Amino acid sequence: MTAIELDGVRKEFGDVVALNGVDLTVEEGEVFGFLGPNGAGKSTTINILLDFVRPTAGSATVLGHDVNEESKAIRERIGVLPEGYDVYERLTGREHVEFVIESKNADDDPMALLERVGVADAADRRAGGYSKGMKQRLVLAMALVDEPDLLILDEPTTGLDPNGARKMRDLVREESERGATVFFSSHILGQVESVCDTVGILQDGELVAKDSVEGLRAAAQGDMKLVVTVGDTDGLDAAVEDVRSLPEVSGVTMDTDRITVNCDGDAKMTVLNTFEESGVAVEDFETQEASLEDLFTAYTERQEVEA
Amino acid sequence: MSTADEGGLAGLDRLLRNTFEWYTVSKKEFKDAIRSKGLWLLGLIFTTAFIAPVALALYFDIGVGQQGQGLGMQLLLSQVYLNMVTLLLPIVAIFLGFAAISKERTSGSLKLLLSLPHSRKDVIIGKVLGRCAVLGVPLVASLAITAVFLTASRLTFKPELFGLFSFFTVVFALVFVAIVVSISGAFKKSLWSGAANFIVYFYFTFLWNAGANGVGNILSNELGVTGAIRWHVVLLLKLVNPNQAYKTLVNSMLGSGEAPALSARYGMFRQGEEASRTICADVLNGAPQAQEGVFGTIITCAPGSGSLPFYYSDPAVVVFMLAWIGIAASVSYYTFNLADL
Repeated sequence: MTAIELDGVRKEFGDVVALNGVDLTVEEGEVFGFLGPNGAGKSTTINILLDFVRPTAGSATVLGHDVNEESKAIRERIGVLPEGYDVYERLTGREHVEFVIESKNADDDPMALLERVGVADAADRRAGGYSKGMKQRLVLAMALVDEPDLLILDEPTTGLDPNGARKMRDLVREESERGATVFFSSHILGQVESVCDTVGILQDGELVAKDSVEGLRAAAQGDMKLVVTVGDTDGLDAAVEDVRSLPEVSGVTMDTDRITVNCDGDAKMTVLNTFEESGVAVEDFETQEASLEDLFTAYTERQEVEA
Repeated sequence: MSTADEGGLAGLDRLLRNTFEWYTVSKKEFKDAIRSKGLWLLGLIFTTAFIAPVALALYFDIGVGQQGQGLGMQLLLSQVYLNMVTLLLPIVAIFLGFAAISKERTSGSLKLLLSLPHSRKDVIIGKVLGRCAVLGVPLVASLAITAVFLTASRLTFKPELFGLFSFFTVVFALVFVAIVVSISGAFKKSLWSGAANFIVYFYFTFLWNAGANGVGNILSNELGVTGAIRWHVVLLLKLVNPNQAYKTLVNSMLGSGEAPALSARYGMFRQGEEASRTICADVLNGAPQAQEGVFGTIITCAPGSGSLPFYYSDPAVVVFMLAWIGIAASVSYYTFNLADL
């Protein structure tokens, strides 16, 4: 069964088109990273899943239920860390978690959950006095109540220090191992890369890519980027043709004496040898693993060029 | 029931939670709001306002003449408390509830609330009832303290009268809280909700009567609807205003004549001789009686052969008031349910 399914979802706010026909499927058990720059429409998408806003056109289901008609049934089975939330200033951390437990008719131990996210010390203090990071942890504890089948986390690492962000990723892994589907959005790629099975990139209200992290990286630029600087450009064109014809190489770009080669991770020596054999002396070289950042930039730029 | 018996308070809590979908929201609402310092300040002001007249009467021996001692409490209720309640209580309700939903919307805590399995309907009902409890608890407490003061004073304390007055007052308070919280649900910003609430308060308190009479004039002058029908419409319009409904209920309760409800409804009008006769005889089923006074003929209304129509009776007026809770909550639910957060 699919955990989340969006079918041609369009949302307009006045004249502004926030989402322009988004189709998206998230399988059960997946950890799905929902990426995109600020303003791309990530939160609007999540707000539609939670029935906070209603789509102008198209439909969406979560865990097989229609997001509008059966919203309550959905919310029985999901845990949410929404974007732009605030806590109840006068209630304590423990009371917040207890409120969720009662709302879901669950029987979790509030202290165990607060322990898990690391705010057990402040359990009986009013949440109005919590720091941004503590509030974030508290709301995460609330999201974990009743072992939800699906966790929807909107920018979960905002406001967390690096240590807190790492803990957040550990929690996502634990929840995934338990069998939960995790859908989380971020504009920071490093957060997504290490925990996600699948990544979707949203740009200006459109889903521009969806693939596994490895798949996307390979599709866009190959596994490795090798930048070669040559001493003499005589016969370089012929040498580049030879390199390009190698089966391990997915692309070559040239900038006078600097040649960038996208190739498999273990093809470095083959590429360098090919240059030498073609009579071109390699003066210097460096390798870079293509990061998701490059991928992201590539997609973003492609959009700009087309527009 | 068995759950409640077994688990005591915790069991009752669970029973309520399983029975009423709004219960969890209203409980959270009460817990949250009851800790507001501003609220306790309001409670204090409220209690002081109630007790001050009694304390003054005690201190200065006001109204303790032979007749005053017996009628003192009626005078206190009709001259002091009635106006105090109708002017002050709605303002307290507004302070308490104008941001109930709009503030959660602006701050974003509504997103936490609605990401849980609560429908928007549960949220509205839970909010209204939670805030009602928040006003109701200090109100009942201050009424109880006032009762103690009254017993201590030299005024004759009439428990049944004060009990009924307290009941009407609590109903009036709850109606206003429901209206205020519902208005809050219809606005995205607390500022707008506050402004709308004050307009509604001002209209109910100061302008509604003139509006009702104005409708009557239009009916008669423009549309040719005259006689009893015109005054039926005017009276119903007047009774629809919770403020007027509360006043006429208390007046009816304080009235000493044969038909206090009839006198109280009749007392809602200040009309000329002919209109007064129509109102008394054809609208209220009473018997108009002329008295020659210094300023001309005054028509009073005595009980007639028939009884007061049931839709103008005291219980009906209470129902009119309570209907506001439902109307306000449904309008609010309708606007709130359509809106994007």
